[in-house]
Amino acid sequence: MARYAMVTDLRKCVACHACTASCNAEWDVPASYARTHVKTTPLAGTFPNLSSSPYVAQCNHCDHPPCVPACPSGATYQDAGGVVRVDADVCIGCAFCVDACPYEARYVSPRTKKVDKCDFCSPRIARGEQPACVATCPAGAKHFGDLEDRDGEVHRIVFHEGARRVETTDVAVGPNVYYLGRPEHLDLVAKSFPPHAPRYPVAREAWKRLIKPLVLGVVGLSLVGQAVAFFNQLHKGEEDFDE
Amino acid sequence: MSRISRRGFLGTAATLGAGAAALPAIAGPKTHPPGWSGTERVDEVATTCEMCFWRCGVIASVVDGKVLRVRGNPEHPQNQGRLCARGNAGTGLLYDPDRLKTPLLRTGERGEGQFKAVSWDEALDFLAGKLVEIRERHGAESVAFFPHGNGARFFGTLMKAYGTPNSAEPSFAQCRGPREVGYSLTFGQALGSPEPVDLEESKLVVLIGSHLGENVFTSQINAFATGLSAGAKLITVDPRFSMAASKSDWWLPIRPGTDIALLLAWMNVLIGEGLYDKEYVASYAHGFDELAAHVKEFTPEWAEAITEIPAAKIRETARAMGEAKPAVAVHPGRHVTWYGDDTQRARAMAILTALLGSWGRKGGIFLPTSIEKGSFDLPDFPESKRGRADGAGEKYPFAIEELGVTNGLIDATLSEKPYPIKGWIVYGQNMLESIPQPSRTIEAIKKLDLMVVVDVLPVDQIKYADLVLPEATYLERYDSPTIVESAKRPFIAVRTPACEPLYESKPGWWIAKELAKKLDLGAFFPWETPAEHLEKILEPAGVNEKHLLSCGAVSFSGKPYLEDRAPEDRTFDTSSGRIELYSQDLADHGADPMPRYTQPVEPPKGFVRLIYGRAPMHSFARTQNNATLNGLMPENEVWLHPMAAKAAGVGNGERVVLENGDGVKSDPVKVFVTEGIRNDCAYLVHGFGQKTKALRRASGKGASDNGLMSRVNVDPLTGGTGMRVNFVRPVKA
Repeated sequence: MARYAMVTDLRKCVACHACTASCNAEWDVPASYARTHVKTTPLAGTFPNLSSSPYVAQCNHCDHPPCVPACPSGATYQDAGGVVRVDADVCIGCAFCVDACPYEARYVSPRTKKVDKCDFCSPRIARGEQPACVATCPAGAKHFGDLEDRDGEVHRIVFHEGARRVETTDVAVGPNVYYLGRPEHLDLVAKSFPPHAPRYPVAREAWKRLIKPLVLGVVGLSLVGQAVAFFNQLHKGEEDFDE
Repeated sequence: MSRISRRGFLGTAATLGAGAAALPAIAGPKTHPPGWSGTERVDEVATTCEMCFWRCGVIASVVDGKVLRVRGNPEHPQNQGRLCARGNAGTGLLYDPDRLKTPLLRTGERGEGQFKAVSWDEALDFLAGKLVEIRERHGAESVAFFPHGNGARFFGTLMKAYGTPNSAEPSFAQCRGPREVGYSLTFGQALGSPEPVDLEESKLVVLIGSHLGENVFTSQINAFATGLSAGAKLITVDPRFSMAASKSDWWLPIRPGTDIALLLAWMNVLIGEGLYDKEYVASYAHGFDELAAHVKEFTPEWAEAITEIPAAKIRETARAMGEAKPAVAVHPGRHVTWYGDDTQRARAMAILTALLGSWGRKGGIFLPTSIEKGSFDLPDFPESKRGRADGAGEKYPFAIEELGVTNGLIDATLSEKPYPIKGWIVYGQNMLESIPQPSRTIEAIKKLDLMVVVDVLPVDQIKYADLVLPEATYLERYDSPTIVESAKRPFIAVRTPACEPLYESKPGWWIAKELAKKLDLGAFFPWETPAEHLEKILEPAGVNEKHLLSCGAVSFSGKPYLEDRAPEDRTFDTSSGRIELYSQDLADHGADPMPRYTQPVEPPKGFVRLIYGRAPMHSFARTQNNATLNGLMPENEVWLHPMAAKAAGVGNGERVVLENGDGVKSDPVKVFVTEGIRNDCAYLVHGFGQKTKALRRASGKGASDNGLMSRVNVDPLTGGTGMRVNFVRPVKA
C-alpha cells in the first residue's frame, strides 16, 4: 500500500506563498484561510550574526493522527494511502479535530461550517498529477510521492538525504511531512514551531459544541417530522376534498 | 473527455475583441478547475500572465464563459508550469468587484472624484475632441503619455501617430533605467527584462540590494534555488536581513548608499591579488590600466571606514569571487534608482562582472539571442520640431528615449519648459504610488487641460481624471505578442482572451484603434483583427499561429554564451568595440569615466533612512485589492531595529505614523521590531497605504513609502530618481 509523504526543501523555499495561493485557488479556500501556511521563524542571534528559516506548515498526514479519534461523527479518517481526509458530508463542524491537531492544520470554513484541511490534493493524485502546491512551487522546493516506492524521489530524500520531521519527544505521532535544510535552520524550525499536545474537549465544551447541536438537531428533526406529517395530512385532506 | 477542449482565437478573428470561440476539441482532460461539476465543457486557454511583468505562461480553465482557475502552463519555456502567488490569484483581478466598469466623465471639480458613466462612443468623442483642441492650440507634443505594461503598446503607437514624442514609463526613471545605461556603457548592450542572469549555473551569486525571494519572478527564483541547491555560494549586500540574506554564506549589512565603495574595494583586491580573469580582460576589455590605477587607493581598509563592512570580509568575499570566476553572477538588480549615483553604481557592477570574466559566460550573465519579428508598413510618424520635453538625450544625456523620463515630463508640466504640457494620458499605472514626490505630481495634474486614466482598477489618481477608461484585464484581452530575447532559449508568447471582457471594459488594442479612427489616424492600425496583427508579427520567425495559440509559447535555440559564437561575432557595441572599463563617452559628458564613491547624505538626528522593497504576494501597488493576495498580506509593517524603536519610544506591534524631514506623514502602520535591519534604517514593503476608498480591500491599509518620498536625488546621466534619500521618524499613532 502507498504511504504518501511531502518534503519541503527549506534551502530552496523563499516563503513566497505560491503554495498557499495555488492551494486556495485549487480548492476554493476562503481568503484569509489556508490549508497550507507559509511562515518564517523568528530571528535567532543578534545583529549582524543572525539566522532564520522559512517554514511551510500543512497537515502532516500522521501515522497516528490524533484528529481521527477526536472526531465524534467519523468524518475524519485515514485512507489507504495514509492520507488523512475529511468527509464533508459527515462532518458536523464541531471542530474537535481542529483542537486535536498538533500542527494547527485544520480550520472550520466560514462558508460551509465544515472542517477543511490539506488532503495531499487526493483528487489530483488520483488523476496522476502532483499536488497543486508542488506543481506551482516557483523554487521547486516541494516533493511529493510514495515513501514505499524505493526508486522514488521522496523515498530517496527521506531515507538517504537526511530529511527531518517536525516532532518532539512528547508529540510523536508519525508525521509524513519532511523538511530538508541546513541543520541549524531545521533546529530553528523545530524550536519555533513545535507540535502541541493534542487537545481533547472538556465536558462543558463538548456540551456546547457537540451535544447541544445534536439535541437541537434531534428537536429540530422531530419538529420537521411533525410539520411534514401535518402538511401530509393537509395535502391528503385536500385530495380527499377534491375527490 | 471530449467535453474538454482548448480554444484559441484563430478562425474567430473577428470576435476576438469580445472573446474567443472554440477550436475543435482535443483529447484528454488537462484541467479540473475548482467548482467544475465534471460535466460541463472546459475550455483551456494558453495565455500570458500579467499579475506582474515577468510574462509567465498560464492556462486559464474556462467553464461557461467563467474563468475558474489560472495555473502555470507546463509547456511554457519560461515557467514550465510553475507560478507565483500572484499568478495563482489571477481570477481575483478579473472578478474584483471594485473594477472600473464603464467609461467615466468628470462632473465635479477636478480632484473631487465626481463622475458620470458614459458610453465608449461619448468617451472617445470627448477624448478625440480634446486631443485635437490641444494639438491646435499648443501642438501635439503638449500631450504626454505615461504607459505601463503590454496593453499600452497599441496606445503608444497612437500617441506617436498623433505627433507627440513625450512618452515615459516608470520602468525607466523609477526602476531599471540606470542599470540599462550602466551596462550598456560597459558592454554595449542593455540587459532588458527578464534580466539574463545565469543563476542556475552560477558558483557564486552576488546580490547588491536585490532581495530575490521577496522579489519573486518565477523562473528567476527557480534558477536561484536551483543554483543554491547545486552548491552555489551567496553573498548578499543589504542593510536588511532579507530572505536572501538568510540563505547567504556572507551577509554584508552595508551602510546604505555606500555600495560603490564596496565595489571599488572588491576591484582593488581582484586586481591587486591578480584574481581577475586576465585572459578575458586582455581579449575583450578596454581601459584596464586606467582602472587598475584608479582602484589602487580604494583598499578594503578604506572601504571599511565608509561601508562599515570589515576589511577582512571584503577581502574574503573578493577572493571567493576570484575563486569562482567566471561563474560568478553579480546580479544587476532591477529597481536601482536609489541615490542618484545609480548609473555609476551599475557601471561598477558591470566592471566587476567584466573583471571576473562573467559577461557571456556560464554562471554569469548570458547573452540574448535575437528573434526576427514582422511589422506593418505604417505611414511616417509626424516629426516633432520641438523635440522631447523630458530631457532624455539632452539634460539627461544617457536616458533611453524609447522609455523616457517620467519625472522629466512632470517637471516640464510644472515649469512649462521647454514648452507647456497640457494633457496627460496615464495607462496601467498608479502614478501616485509609482513616481516619487506625489504632491508635485498632483500639482502638475492641476495645470492640465486634460487628464485621462486608462486602467483596470480605480487607482488613486482616478479622482484627478477628467476621463477614465476601463481596460480589460489580461485574461480578457489580446496583446501584442511577447518576444523575449533575453532568455537562454528565447521565445515568443501570446496573450489571448480567456473570456469576454466584463462590464463595459475594452482591450487596449480596441481603445487605441477606435480612438485612432476618430482622430483620422486609422492608417496606423492597418489590421482589422488582432489575429491579423499576430500573423504579421510572427511571419518572419516562421511560427505557426495555431501552434502558438494552442501551447501559449514557442521557443528557439539560443546562443547564450560567448563560446557559442564565432570569435568574430564576440563583439561589443561600444565606442571602442570592447568592454569599456574606462568610458570615454562618460568622460566626454563631464562624468567620471570610471566609478567613484560619492558620500550619501546622512539622516539627521532622530531620523532613520527609509528603505523599501517588495513582498512576494504583491506586485507594486497593483494587487493589494486582490481577495487572495490581500488575505495573504493585507498591510505592510515598518521594520525597525530595537535601538531605533527604543529611541522613538515605540514597541513591537504598536501603530505609528512615519513622519519625514519635510513634515509629510504616513498613515498609521504597525511596527515590526527586528534585529534584522541596521539601526539607521526603516523598511517598508512598497505599494500599501493607498488612499482611494474605491479599492475597498486595499484602502487605508498600511503606509505608503512613495507618499514619504518628498525628496529625490536625480541621476544626472539618466534622470533616474534616487529614492532612498528620505528620512523618517516613527511617532506613536
